[in-house]
Amino acid sequence: MDVLSISLKLLEGGLGNLAAYLAAHVLLCLLPAFYIAGAMTALIPKETVTRFLGRNTPKIISYPASAAAGFLLAVCSCTVIPLFAGIYKKGAGLGPAITFLFVAPAINILALVYTGGVIGMDLAIARLLLSLAFGIGVGIIMALIFRREDAEHDKATDTMFAGQAAMRRAALIFMLVLVALLVAGTFQFDFLKQTYVEVTLPIHGMDTIQAFLYRLVPFNPARGEEGVTAQGAILIGMLVLIGLTSWKGIERIHEGFNTWTWVSTGLVGLTLLVAALGMIPAAGALTLSLTGKFFGVLLSVIVLGWMLKAQLSEDETRDFLWESWKFVKQIFPLLVVGVFAVGIIRELIQPEWIEAIAGSNTLLGNFVGVVFGVFMYFPTLVEVPIAQMFLELGMHRGPLLAYLISDPELSLQSILITAAIIGRIKAWTYVGWVALFSTLAGLIYGAWVDGASLGLVSLYLVFFLAALAGIMWLVNRRNAETAVVAHLS
Amino acid sequence: MLTIKVLGSGCANCKRVEQIARKVVTEMSLEAEVIKVTDYKDIMAYNILSTPGLVINEKVVSSGRIPTPAEVTTWVANALETA
Repeated sequence: MDVLSISLKLLEGGLGNLAAYLAAHVLLCLLPAFYIAGAMTALIPKETVTRFLGRNTPKIISYPASAAAGFLLAVCSCTVIPLFAGIYKKGAGLGPAITFLFVAPAINILALVYTGGVIGMDLAIARLLLSLAFGIGVGIIMALIFRREDAEHDKATDTMFAGQAAMRRAALIFMLVLVALLVAGTFQFDFLKQTYVEVTLPIHGMDTIQAFLYRLVPFNPARGEEGVTAQGAILIGMLVLIGLTSWKGIERIHEGFNTWTWVSTGLVGLTLLVAALGMIPAAGALTLSLTGKFFGVLLSVIVLGWMLKAQLSEDETRDFLWESWKFVKQIFPLLVVGVFAVGIIRELIQPEWIEAIAGSNTLLGNFVGVVFGVFMYFPTLVEVPIAQMFLELGMHRGPLLAYLISDPELSLQSILITAAIIGRIKAWTYVGWVALFSTLAGLIYGAWVDGASLGLVSLYLVFFLAALAGIMWLVNRRNAETAVVAHLS
Repeated sequence: MLTIKVLGSGCANCKRVEQIARKVVTEMSLEAEVIKVTDYKDIMAYNILSTPGLVINEKVVSSGRIPTPAEVTTWVANALETA
């Protein structure tokens, strides 16, 4: 093959991957997820969680609370770093701050939903549970190792964390309906997949368009690739329209709502509905099948639209739309570039390489997953299509999880910021523990995938944590003894 | 002379707050200085839990959200009265 045909093939791989992603995966899982993230940022008052992070809160509350804060409040880096510095210096201390820092990037709602939609719910749930458990574990360990320095708290008062605010009930219901929309759109329950009504419309030409699209973007089902359907092409078109109308309607939303604001919001609802339809083009006709999924999405969209108009205050609506749009603007372009690049890279990697290194659930395989995650920095969410590529190339799900946990967790950028706030030694100690825990998370999950019983897996986990606690207790006692000796002399 | 500080490391929301603050200052035709504070040590000195923060004459008036121009106008007017 000459250079031209190789580069053509690479370009084709990139474009094909991108088109298939936009058409198939993005809409029903990612679009609601962006809005949920926006609603979390705009509608949850930070005080509902942060009041549990004050200095005088007992540890048994402050650790879970900081994990919850990582999940609920930290969708944007605007919140992560100030909150981290605040908890560390003026609040509950190093341990809960580290827990927060660990949990925040690994299990934000966007990453979880996207992992679930693209790779599988089992991996998303494993990512959630193991990140929570290990986040609290790393926090406790760091607090123990550095407990002397940790005593030198800032002298500022606790008032920063004393604020109390309740979430409005309407805002809470609004968020729950958003979650319902997501569940209806993405979960594979039988009653959602079943078709209840079928309509055949005499629309000509859809089948020729689809055949043309299949030729334009060739794909190989045997390798897990997906083609672009006629429906997919319509959806890509609608996405572009949403982008354009949002630019006009939401970019300047702080100066007041305008017609474009409502056009773009309406378009989002419409797009979700079209994506939830089943479309089967045939010669001279188009069959629409209305599944349980479609009715679920329809109901949620109607309720959301009504609540947006009638129940949320103007401030809430504005903040909600702005924050959601901000996430789209910030993440979507990077995701598009990332998916395109993954499509190209995939043409270059031989499955044999991946299989040889991380094809089974070994210590080495998991460690390689972690190292790759640490040294490669991908923008938010791009780690997911990359993980999917690895999965298709034959990577075991254990090392895959190890990679998925460590990649957003550790990057040069986050290490540097952490070091600036807590100091270099603490930061690198943290990095070491995260690497260890990610490897371990992969091993444990991999063992479960390979058929180890849940009891055995939990036994491993308990054994490991007990060993850790034992070491900590020993260190603690020895230090206490030297302290007593020092005191006596 | 009013001093308005925008606290934030440069994320999208912080830039938006700065824009709004400058707009209000121009509209009210005030003599005011709008300063961006990006260093974390300085930001943390104001006891806020999330950026962007808005500080008028050393008093934190909002944090963690984008205020509307109308709100900022009120705060600025209040600050002018007490000054």
